[in-house]
Amino acid sequence: MNVLTEFSLFDKTSTLDGVYVTFMVNRLQMLYLLLIMPIYLVQPYMIWAILAVGVLSHFNLMILSKWFASDYSVKGYQGFSQLLGRPLLRFLAFLGLPLLLLKISILVLGYSEIVHQFVFPAVDRNWMLLFLMVVSIYMAAQGMEKTIRFIVIAFFCTIWMIVLYYSFFTYPIASLSDLYPLIPENSSDFFWKGILLIWSSLSGPEFLIFLAPWLGKNEKIPKYLSIGNAITVIEYLLLFVATQFFFGADLLRQAKFPMIEMIRYLQLPVFERIDIILIALYMFHFLFTIAIFLIYFYGGLRIIFQKRDEPINRLSFFLACLFIYVSLVLLNEWLWEEEQNVLVDFHIWAGAVSYILVPSFLVAMTKIKERTKGGTF
Amino acid sequence: MEHFKITIFTSIIFSVILITGCSPFNENNQIEEIAPVIFWSIEEGEGEKFKMSTIMPPLIAEKKQIYTLEVDLIKESGKEFNLKNYRELKVGQLRIIVINEEVARKGIKTLINTLLADPDISQRLYLVVVSGSFNEYISNQLEQHEKIDYFFYRMLKHYENKGEITVVNLHQFMKNLYAPLSDPVLPLFKADNENLAYNGTAVFKEDKLVDTMTEMDEQIFQLINNHRYLKYFKVPAFSLLGGHIHSKVDVEFENNYKSVSVQVDLEGKIEDYLGEKDLTKQDELDALTQEMESHLEKQTKQLLNKYQDKKVDPFHMGKHTLKPFERPINDKEWINKWEQMEINVDYNLKLSPLNHVDS
Repeated sequence: MNVLTEFSLFDKTSTLDGVYVTFMVNRLQMLYLLLIMPIYLVQPYMIWAILAVGVLSHFNLMILSKWFASDYSVKGYQGFSQLLGRPLLRFLAFLGLPLLLLKISILVLGYSEIVHQFVFPAVDRNWMLLFLMVVSIYMAAQGMEKTIRFIVIAFFCTIWMIVLYYSFFTYPIASLSDLYPLIPENSSDFFWKGILLIWSSLSGPEFLIFLAPWLGKNEKIPKYLSIGNAITVIEYLLLFVATQFFFGADLLRQAKFPMIEMIRYLQLPVFERIDIILIALYMFHFLFTIAIFLIYFYGGLRIIFQKRDEPINRLSFFLACLFIYVSLVLLNEWLWEEEQNVLVDFHIWAGAVSYILVPSFLVAMTKIKERTKGGTF
Repeated sequence: MEHFKITIFTSIIFSVILITGCSPFNENNQIEEIAPVIFWSIEEGEGEKFKMSTIMPPLIAEKKQIYTLEVDLIKESGKEFNLKNYRELKVGQLRIIVINEEVARKGIKTLINTLLADPDISQRLYLVVVSGSFNEYISNQLEQHEKIDYFFYRMLKHYENKGEITVVNLHQFMKNLYAPLSDPVLPLFKADNENLAYNGTAVFKEDKLVDTMTEMDEQIFQLINNHRYLKYFKVPAFSLLGGHIHSKVDVEFENNYKSVSVQVDLEGKIEDYLGEKDLTKQDELDALTQEMESHLEKQTKQLLNKYQDKKVDPFHMGKHTLKPFERPINDKEWINKWEQMEINVDYNLKLSPLNHVDS
């Protein structure tokens, strides 16, 4: 196998159905931040906050769907360069690469920490990093289209876990008074931080802007986007209410990963540590996201170094992934222990800002372009 | 040049992979060589130390022995037990923590934190307070009953959500400990050389044991607290045993928490009666019911008053103050109001008698 042979990452063989959009939107919103969300939301009246931010997110997704409806999106790179111009595009790619790196690192490091803490406390943490990266690189190397198709597997492997949370509603220690009070106290700092966190946790669908060529021009995309968002909000509500029943507001402050601790409380008659299986299954949609981000990272590198005319070869792809892996190991070594909160804060802010800015920016640019062109394209 | 590049490339790949270390697995979990113990028993030792005991090896067809250690830190026992016995102690199957009453009076917060810090220990661990010496009981009975620890666990599991006896696991204890408006409880057992018997419920304020409820108080607790069902309700003052008692409790606060009225409706049947009344006559049955109602009202009021003075709320009365659209009452404020509250208890008994009644 010659490492310099061409291999296709960005081939399109068929147009994918809109239901992939639903799956992707939902799973991209159910990543790492969900696991730590209840610690920041604590009080039961944040249920209203989840609903409100979910509705806001719906409107944001409608703006995003306008991008999908425009002519520029389906053309992929050509569309972007026509819309934004090459220099601006290079600059934005340059900005976007650290963002991608940050997101990948939070996902990988966060997941490995969960595995290290709950499943394999005696195994060296770097091993989990390597394992995740190797599997993600393998999947990313299959190409964008196969990776998108993988979301079906990831979705169906993880969506059924919501059924398990039903048992938390029926435990004798759960009582309706755990959900009171339903009105907020004076809006304190942590209330706004909670809203920021929910918004950032709902961010993720903005990364679908690059996938328009594979999805084709589809009028029903707004519908699929909103269904995905609705499923996510329902899941957030169910999970948050389950944490209220299980922990109560005060004990919730002490927990580190409330979702995982709740799963550990579940027991089947034959098999006790069901949380091991659930944590392993949880890896599927982390994997999908990391693979998609790896492909984006590689595409972004090609734009920055203006190598778009050269064919894609395996060597350059693996080098890009190696670079990411090495930076992950370094981040893990230096920053994850002490500065974890700083990294997660960065991640929250970056996610929130990108979710707000990206759809609006693109739609605004489209409108400006159309106006300067004087009519339809 | 080509070779050089390939060499550099492969050596980078290898070193990057080997960052993870050569052998990722540090623990040896071969089943013949581990001892997954079922319980830990914690008593007071010399000075400030704890005396911890457990039975090893559990559940294998080998002669079992009770091992005892004096330790400063609870988890130190994990290390010390390993050095004493050739099988490595594993806490993954730890099911019961038996705490001596004196240790419980001093506070068990550090113990709880230790248990929570270990990811192998499940939160469904049962916590039990024992008065008397659990170790003596185990040492004496181990000869005849080999699986004594396992059957103690099965007993607790059997009664877990039934309402006959209080069974509390680590998570429930933690939830009530941290919740501002309720105080945790644990089951209390009494141990001597021959017997280990359920004795009542131990009431905690924060993490320290403050009081124990036995006999009639304990039955009232079971009826008024969460489970609201008792299979056998013994009222020795009337030589009566009620069966299959269901209770419905209504708690209403009046007058800005200055008084509370507790309405208890009990329904069940009389299973055994040795008193003087003739229960086949309706009027005598009614008289008995009235007498029992006032007796129970007096007992319950006394019990609640006792806890008012101790500023403890094991009946979770505070939870009834929570309403959906009102600000919750503060923890300290609640305890103050609870201390000064006037309590009115009203019982309503409906007992179906042993046999047919002539009206």
